[in-house]
Amino acid sequence: MTSSVPSMRKARNLADPFADDILALLPRLRRFAAGLSRAQGEADDLCQATVERALRNRDKWQAGTRIDSWMYRLMRNIWIDEVRARTRRHETFVDEDAGLTVGTSGGQEERVALGDIDRALALLPDEQREAVLLVMVEGWSYKEAAEIVGCPVGTLNSRLVRGRDALLARLGEAA
Amino acid sequence: MKPTPEQIAAFADGELGERERMAVETAIAADPALARQVAAHRALRQRLGSHFAPITDEVVPDHLTALLAKPTAPVIDLSAERTRRRTLPRWTWIAGPALAASLALMVMWTTQADQRPGLVGEQLASALDNQLVAEQPADAPIRVLLSFRDAKGTYCRAFAGRTESGIACRDEAGWTLRAGAGGSQASAGEYRQAGSEAEIMQAAQDLAAEPALDDAGERTARQRGWRPAR
Repeated sequence: MTSSVPSMRKARNLADPFADDILALLPRLRRFAAGLSRAQGEADDLCQATVERALRNRDKWQAGTRIDSWMYRLMRNIWIDEVRARTRRHETFVDEDAGLTVGTSGGQEERVALGDIDRALALLPDEQREAVLLVMVEGWSYKEAAEIVGCPVGTLNSRLVRGRDALLARLGEAA
Repeated sequence: MKPTPEQIAAFADGELGERERMAVETAIAADPALARQVAAHRALRQRLGSHFAPITDEVVPDHLTALLAKPTAPVIDLSAERTRRRTLPRWTWIAGPALAASLALMVMWTTQADQRPGLVGEQLASALDNQLVAEQPADAPIRVLLSFRDAKGTYCRAFAGRTESGIACRDEAGWTLRAGAGGSQASAGEYRQAGSEAEIMQAAQDLAAEPALDDAGERTARQRGWRPAR
């Protein structure tokens, strides 16, 4: 009997613009997560944690404001929290060789997959790495990137310059 | 003018204002070393961009999309729904007059196949014909949630049963289902499944032309056999 009438469940699932917007953002969020993280599994976890936090906090997102920068901010904050938690646990988060040994299994594939750029990025201090990624990979303006990070534009600008100078030096593209 | 490294990078990124941009441009034109720096910045941006670009073309893993496809969003989320019901139910305006204590009237519940598609079964029809919101027992097999009239003046009743829940409206042929969903499995004493009933309430509010009938309104409608007044 119920099959002959429209199901309320279906009708409702079609209309959740909030979830649809996040769904459309997932490819970009995965890219940002891949840049922030130092291992593939870590990036997936970061993405999942970000989506879950967004769903829990959807009432804190103000309709009419940009949902993409809000999601980036959530992801960035989760990542920072995680970094700090590791530091508190006195784990060696990264050292000069980190890029070469990312992927604790030490398997051949991980070593091969990790290219020069990943290694160079992994060696940047976190504040420089996030600035470089937001502007040069994710395409945010300085002002937008500063808002996502929560720092003044001038600070963002100088972190960005230090980060990209270090990358240029390591990647051999310095003038 | 000797541009700072910040200015060079900002120039390469197209982040400078008009006046500053022109000043840096002039300096760069006069100094090939600065021009090379700008080129290096742009090449780096290009290289980083193309390094990460393939990720956006990958198929997003199912476990991520599943988080968003799951029926957990606002109207669906049971806990969110309970919170909303405690605070400000969206269907307040329709349910208000009909929210009353309930007592009495048992309806026999047996299973029987439908005779006509869209028309409700005999047991459900009987409940819809006879049961009043204010008088039904808390553990009635089918509970009528509220009654209302749609835009055409047709009487409709929202109900929740163990095997099905929904909204039925009374036309010439009988009670016809307008909206339906699986039944709530909650038995008396348990917390009633807020989610499905809230959905029905929402659907009722969408169908209704005016607030729900109060007890007297339901009695009058029952006397008329739930047919519109002439």
